[in-house]
Amino acid sequence: MMRDHDSKADAKLIRLPRWLTSDHPFPWLFPASAMLIIFGLYPVLYSLWLSMFKRNPATRIETFRPSWNWSKVFADDRVIDAVSITLTYTLIALTIQLVLGLAIALLLDSDRKGFGLLRSLMILPLVVPPAVTGMMFLLMYDGSFGVISHMLYGLGLLSPSTPILAGGTSALWGVIIADVWQWTPFMVLIMLAGLRALPKDPFEAAAIDGATDIQAFFRLTLPMMSKIIALAVLIRGIDLFRIYDYIKVMTDSGPGTATETLTAYAGTIYFKNADFPYASTVALFTLILVVIIANLFIKIFKVRF
Amino acid sequence: MSFKNYDKQNFIIDTANAFTKRKISKRDFLSKMGIAGIGMSAFATGVLGGARPFRGNMAHAAENNTPEDVANFLREAGKPFAGTTIRYTSEATPPTVVLDTLKAEFTELTGINVEIEIVPLEQVLAKATQDVQGQLGTYDIYYLDQAWTSTFSRDTIDPVQYYKDKPDLAMPGFDFDDFSKPLVEGICEYDNKWVGLPFDIPIFTLMYRKDLLEKHGIAVPKTYDDFTAAVQMITAAEKENGIFGTGCQAKSGHYSLECDWTQAVWGHGGSIFGADKKFSGNDAEGVEGLQWYQEMLRNSPPNSVASTWDGQWQMGASGQIALCQSWAEFFPGWNADDSKVKGLWEMAHPLQGPHSLRGRDDVGFGEIPNWGHQGGSSIALSKYSKNVDAAWLFLQWACSKDIMTRCTLAGGFAPMRNSSYTDPRIVERKDRVGGGTTRHLDTVRWTIDNVMASEPDLPIWAGVANNEIPTELGKLVTGQDYNGDAKACMDQIAKLVDAKVEEADLI
Repeated sequence: MMRDHDSKADAKLIRLPRWLTSDHPFPWLFPASAMLIIFGLYPVLYSLWLSMFKRNPATRIETFRPSWNWSKVFADDRVIDAVSITLTYTLIALTIQLVLGLAIALLLDSDRKGFGLLRSLMILPLVVPPAVTGMMFLLMYDGSFGVISHMLYGLGLLSPSTPILAGGTSALWGVIIADVWQWTPFMVLIMLAGLRALPKDPFEAAAIDGATDIQAFFRLTLPMMSKIIALAVLIRGIDLFRIYDYIKVMTDSGPGTATETLTAYAGTIYFKNADFPYASTVALFTLILVVIIANLFIKIFKVRF
Repeated sequence: MSFKNYDKQNFIIDTANAFTKRKISKRDFLSKMGIAGIGMSAFATGVLGGARPFRGNMAHAAENNTPEDVANFLREAGKPFAGTTIRYTSEATPPTVVLDTLKAEFTELTGINVEIEIVPLEQVLAKATQDVQGQLGTYDIYYLDQAWTSTFSRDTIDPVQYYKDKPDLAMPGFDFDDFSKPLVEGICEYDNKWVGLPFDIPIFTLMYRKDLLEKHGIAVPKTYDDFTAAVQMITAAEKENGIFGTGCQAKSGHYSLECDWTQAVWGHGGSIFGADKKFSGNDAEGVEGLQWYQEMLRNSPPNSVASTWDGQWQMGASGQIALCQSWAEFFPGWNADDSKVKGLWEMAHPLQGPHSLRGRDDVGFGEIPNWGHQGGSSIALSKYSKNVDAAWLFLQWACSKDIMTRCTLAGGFAPMRNSSYTDPRIVERKDRVGGGTTRHLDTVRWTIDNVMASEPDLPIWAGVANNEIPTELGKLVTGQDYNGDAKACMDQIAKLVDAKVEEADLI
């Protein structure tokens, strides 16, 4: 009976399609490759194709002029401003998130009672959609009844005659604060994972040798965490470089162009001027910048995956 | 915006005032703000500048007066399309909000379902642009702001022609001649074609707080000079009480700022384009207009530079401003029963400028300089629709005499059809002071018929009016650039706009 059952099972196995039992990598790589081609490669290639056309917004006629939009990008003052704003935004937000993230992770790196709950609570901001976060901060910044504005009035740091999102510099800071509130927990999570994976022996040895906490942090923790930090910076940096949601919701690139990042500008050209080829060119230009900066970072900081 | 949200805003304002006057503790203030923060998504949408203020009363639209022959026509004509779903996307204009509620009546008569997507104006433009670019037919009906009429003219079906071409689908007594002529010309006609049907007419008129003017012995302003003097006097006297002379919709990069600027230029004898089709906002009159606007901003609540029309409406409803030359459709809401300043607002004819108006022969692209800026819109039948006939039935129903009158009754805005002004339901409400009033409609009609101004008609205007002009103006009014120099700002806009016009081969 037993043998009969086994032979039936074997027969079933034999009947499986060949591609499912193949040792060839193609069937296994196909789903992921297909997704990558459809959602990653195709849009980039299509954007590249689109960027080679000059569009007349009045007649909607597109003529093949491969260099038209690219020369326009380098002559467009708003692109140059947007590059500067994007870099400023990325550097400031990244620095704050990194320092805060590491500091909070160090505070939460404990097995004492209640710390597990605290670590879980840290994730909460991450589940809020960025557009909702933007609206939340928009309300809190409101010059007439926003809680943050009123607190700043009370502290004498802001005057009612200059609403936060109406001033060039303050508007950029306003958006960065929303970003920091939402994404610092992401840094905390990565840093915590890194901290908790560190071996205990070097720290015990250092303690026996009389090293202070600060010495242990700078001479052990930071060097051992460097690769984790580099990876976190890379991931968040790329994310920050293509910031769109908060700016669209909170300032719509304003006042003037004070918060206009590259992606926000591409969106404006696309949605307001309907110049799809030029919008694609600005988007591709952003992609090229991200790739260059990310690779430079990987090379300089010797990031290994 | 619902009444519930309006209450929440008042709650927040009252709480903030109580805190600044030290009537409540910081702890109470924060806790009340926390309470108000819950469930405020609708209000947040308003703060985003996406929503046009709707302060109507749906109860006023309840009385269905659809003539029997029209109802029978819809029942018969709709039979082949029963079960079809038609879609259109629109800004939250008062008529759209009302129509969204009344559409069930249409579905009951015809069996045709209607989906209305209500999104902020800039998203309406983005959606329509993508639809026509791909000729997708995702939307059967387009909501078209007057600034976009020329841009989309080739993508719509002329309703007058379609009415003639499809006699079996022609609604009895539809009467195209009943539509206000200036509105047809200003909103939906382009190149001898009706691009759509007139649907909404926000128009600039003067509105003022009679109590504040009486208190300071100020006569109702008739000219820009009178207005400026009154605004400056009230700001000086009432700023300490949180009241400013006027309020603006000067959000950087938003079309609302462009609307304010346009009126300031026309009001000072300037124009957007000259007869040579070159941007003329940087000539002497244009610069004078912008300098006047800068002065108005100095006499406005600081939040003006972060506000669109919704923010400006809130300034009026919360009693923050005394005078305002802006959209007449604010008026019913400012006088609504739950407004903080109910019955205190009055309406007058738009202000007259210090110089004569520029003639239509002296301007380009069909621009009409005048004292009353119109921001009307039309609804149009998409050429790419897969349900053209079903959508056509809906379009006729939505713009029929009874529905348009009921939209006005519920929304409080000006009617598109001349017959609505004499409809007993409208006339009867002229004596009302509070909610549901129609007492402002005579002034609105006079403005439409006599001094209505329209922005230029050129296919790239939607982009220029929503991007280049308000972005550069935003830099000026927020001090990001130009160091307060109106001429420098206008020169830069001239450079950008002329380049766009040239690039589009329009010159």
